[in-house]
Amino acid sequence: MTKLLWKIGGEAGFGIVTTGQVFAKIINRQGYYTFDYIQYPSLIRGGHNTIDVMVSDEEVTALKKPVDFLVCLNKDTFEFHKERLTPTSVVIFDPTEFTPDGEFVKIAVPFAEILKTNEGQTVMKNTIALGASLAALGLDLEILNTLLEEQFGKKGEPVVNFNKKFAEEGFSHVKKNYSQSIKQLLPKKETGQKLVMSGNEAFSLASVLADCRLYVAYPMTPSSTILTVLASWQEKNGMVVRHAEDEISVINTAIGAAFAGVRASVGTSGGGFALMVESISLAGVTETPIVIFLAERPGPATGMPTWTEQGDLLFAIHAGHGEFPKIVLAPGDMEEMLELGAKAYNLADVYQTPVIVVSDMLLSESHKSVPREFLDRLKADYKVERGKTVSTPTDTKYLRYKVTDDGISERLIPGAKGFFYQANSYEHLEDSHTTEEAGPRTAQVEKRNKKNQTYLKTHFQPPKLYGAKDSKTVFVGWGSVKGAILDAQKILKLKGQETAFVHFTHVYPMNEEIIKPFFPEGKRYILVENNSQAQFGKLLRAETGIDIKEKLLRYDGRPFWSEDIANYLK
Amino acid sequence: MATVQDFSGYTPTWCPGCGDWGIGVAVKTAFSQMGLDPSSLAVVFGIGCSGNMNDFLNAYAIHALHGRAIPNAIGIKIARHNLPVLAIVGDGDCYGEGGNHLVHACRGNHDITVIVHDNGVYGLTTGQVAPTAQKGFKSKSTPGGIIEIPINPLALTITSGATFVAQSFAGDANFTIEMIKLGMKHKGFSLINILQPCVTFNKINTYQYYLQHIYRLPPEYQKNSFTAAVNKAVEMNQEKFPLGVVYESDRPSFTDSIPQLKEKTLFERERFENLESFYPEFL
Repeated sequence: MTKLLWKIGGEAGFGIVTTGQVFAKIINRQGYYTFDYIQYPSLIRGGHNTIDVMVSDEEVTALKKPVDFLVCLNKDTFEFHKERLTPTSVVIFDPTEFTPDGEFVKIAVPFAEILKTNEGQTVMKNTIALGASLAALGLDLEILNTLLEEQFGKKGEPVVNFNKKFAEEGFSHVKKNYSQSIKQLLPKKETGQKLVMSGNEAFSLASVLADCRLYVAYPMTPSSTILTVLASWQEKNGMVVRHAEDEISVINTAIGAAFAGVRASVGTSGGGFALMVESISLAGVTETPIVIFLAERPGPATGMPTWTEQGDLLFAIHAGHGEFPKIVLAPGDMEEMLELGAKAYNLADVYQTPVIVVSDMLLSESHKSVPREFLDRLKADYKVERGKTVSTPTDTKYLRYKVTDDGISERLIPGAKGFFYQANSYEHLEDSHTTEEAGPRTAQVEKRNKKNQTYLKTHFQPPKLYGAKDSKTVFVGWGSVKGAILDAQKILKLKGQETAFVHFTHVYPMNEEIIKPFFPEGKRYILVENNSQAQFGKLLRAETGIDIKEKLLRYDGRPFWSEDIANYLK
Repeated sequence: MATVQDFSGYTPTWCPGCGDWGIGVAVKTAFSQMGLDPSSLAVVFGIGCSGNMNDFLNAYAIHALHGRAIPNAIGIKIARHNLPVLAIVGDGDCYGEGGNHLVHACRGNHDITVIVHDNGVYGLTTGQVAPTAQKGFKSKSTPGGIIEIPINPLALTITSGATFVAQSFAGDANFTIEMIKLGMKHKGFSLINILQPCVTFNKINTYQYYLQHIYRLPPEYQKNSFTAAVNKAVEMNQEKFPLGVVYESDRPSFTDSIPQLKEKTLFERERFENLESFYPEFL
C-alpha cells in the first residue's frame, strides 16, 4: 500500500495553498487519492503557511505525522516541522537561504538563482518546487504542463511557456543532480476520474444540484469560499449571490426569497451565526424553509479564525428564542457534504423550517478525492422534493397554518390569484392572522412540534457503524472527526486490534428508540470530539439518556491526528 | 379592479386620532388606484404600531422582525422582480434597529418602496424616544431629555444612494396617496417618510405642530438636483419639513443589474441541470 505525505511551506501570500492544490490534482490525475490540510494564520502577508497532502492508492481521509517530502520555500518551514522528519524523508531547500541539519535525504534546489537567471517573480518559486517534487517522486512533467496550459492558456502561449520553464528548471535540476535519490513511488494507475474538492466546494456543488437559487453571505472564515465559488458560477447556472451588509441582512434576504418561492441558503461561521439567531426563530415561526451552513472555528468571539473546532454544536441546536423545530446535519467528509448538503434543501422545503448544516474549518477547507462515480450516482438519485409547497391551494379556503396530523401545512407560493396570507412572526391563527388566544396558541405550538416526530419517522438517518460490529471497543463521534477515526481504525487493525466506530451525521433531533440499539451494555465507548466540553456527549445524554464517560477531546484549534487516536487505546 | 375594501382586513387597533389611520387608508387607496389587488403584490411589515397594519391590510405579506423588514423585502424582490414590493415600517424600526439595512438598500438601489411612519417615539412600547425625536425630547427612557440629535432620514438616504426620496404628512391623505404612487412607480429604491403624530405618547409633534412646520415643495423645485435635495433635506434640522418628492434620479436597480435575471425572474427560470460543467475546476 502506498501512503506518503508531501508538505510544502513558505511565507503567507505566496501561493502555497494553490500549489498544494495543483500538486493534489496532479496526483489524482496520476490515479491516486489525496487528502490535504491547510495551516495558515489570520493575515495576508508575512505569516507561515503550509499545506500537507496525503497521497495513497486507496481512499484517504486523514494525514499522518511523518513527512516524506518536505518542500521548504523558507527556513521556517524546516524549523517548524523538522520533528516530523524521518531518516527516509526527503527535504527540498534552497542552499543559498539555509542548509538543513539532520539525518534525512537532502535535495538542494537553487530557487533564488533559477528565479534570477530566468527573471521570474517570487510566486514562481512554487512552480520550481512542483517541478522538483515531481522529479523526486519519479514522475514526469506531463500533467503539470497540461495544468499550466489550462491555467494560463487564456493569457497566450508565451505566458504558458514562461511558467513551464520554471517547472522544467526545478525538474531537471533534481533529475541531473539527485538521480540516486529518485524512487518511482507513484507509477500511473488506471482508476476512475476523481475530483479534488473541499467541503465548501462540495456544499457549493450540492447547492447547485439542489436548485438553490439564492445564496447570501457576509465573508467569514472558514465559510467564505462558498460565497466566492458560487459568486464565480452564478452567471453560468443562473443563481443569484448576494454579499449583504451583515449577517442579519444575509439571513433575512434569504428568508424573503424563500417566502417568495425560491430555494435560498446562507453560510457563515460562529460569529455571523450568532447574528442570525433571532432570524432563525423567525424562519421557525413563519415556517419558512431556509438552509444555514455553519462552518465552525475556535471561539469564543473572534477566537482563532483560521483553525478548527467543533465548538458550536449545542449553540446551533439551541439557536433561536422560543420553541420550534429545527434539523441539524453534520457531514463527516466531502461525500457526505455533497449528499447531506443537497438533502438539507429538501428537508427545509418538506418541513418548512430551518435546517443547519454544521461543518468546521477542517472539513470546509481541506480537500479530498471524490470519485466521479459518486457524483454521477448522487445526481441520478437526487430529486428536488418540495413537500407541501403548492402554487394553488387544495381547498378553496386557504389556511397557511392549518393544523395537520404531520404538523406540516400547505405552503402557497405568493402570487396565486384570489389568495393572500402572511408569514407572521407573531403567533397566529390557522389563517395567519395574529392571535394571543390560548387555544390557537397551543394548537400552533403543538403543530410545529409535530414536525419533529414526522422527521424522525420519515427522514432521520441513524448513525453509521464502521469497523468490527462486535468489537468491545467503540469510538463515538460526529461530523469531521470521521476521517481521523477511520484512519485510526486502520492503524489499529494493522496492529491486530479490531474496533467499532459509531458516527453521527443527523445530530438533531434524535430519539432514544432509534439510538439505543447502537449502544449495547458491556462495551467500552470512547467519545471523540474536537471541543473541550464534549458537546455531543451532552446532547446524546439529553436526547437519549446514553451517557459516555470516557472522552478523548482536543481543543487547541488543531484536528485530531489518527496516530493519537490509535495510541490512546494503548 | 380591486377596491379599498378588498385590501381591508381587520379593523385597525390604532388609537383614535393616530396618524397611522391616515397612512393605512392612503396605502390601500394607492394600491387600488394603481390597479393592484391583494394577490399581486408583496408587503413586509416591521414591528411597532406601523407594523400592526399586517392584520389590517390584505396582501401577501411578511410580518418581519423588528428592524429587518428591508432585507426581507430585498429577498422577495430578488426572487420575484416583477412583483411590487413594499416595506411598511416605523422610525425606530427602520432608522434605529434596522439603520444599517436602510443605508445599504439605498446603495444597492433595490427596487422596493419603504414607507416610514415617523412619529418620534416608540408607541407600541409605550412612548420611549425614537431616533427622529428632536434633541431634548423627554420620554420614559430619556427623562432628562434626549442627548442625541435626530437622524435626518431624507439626507441620510439621499447621500446613501436612494434614487427616490419623498416626505408626506399623515394628516394629508390625498398627498400621501400621491407620494406612495410616485414611489411605487419609481424604478429603484424609494423612501417615503411620513410625518405621523402619535396622539398618545408624543405631546410635542402634534397635528398642530406639523401644520406649523410643514410646507409643500413648489412646482419649480428641481427634484433631480442632488445638491438642491441635500439642502432641502437639511432644513429638517431646523424643524422645517418639506413635503413632496425631495429627490429623484435614475440609476439601474439591483435586479436590473444582474445578468441572470434578464430573461426571467429567479423564481420562474428553469432548473439548471448541467452540474458537470463545473467539474473541470476540480480535476
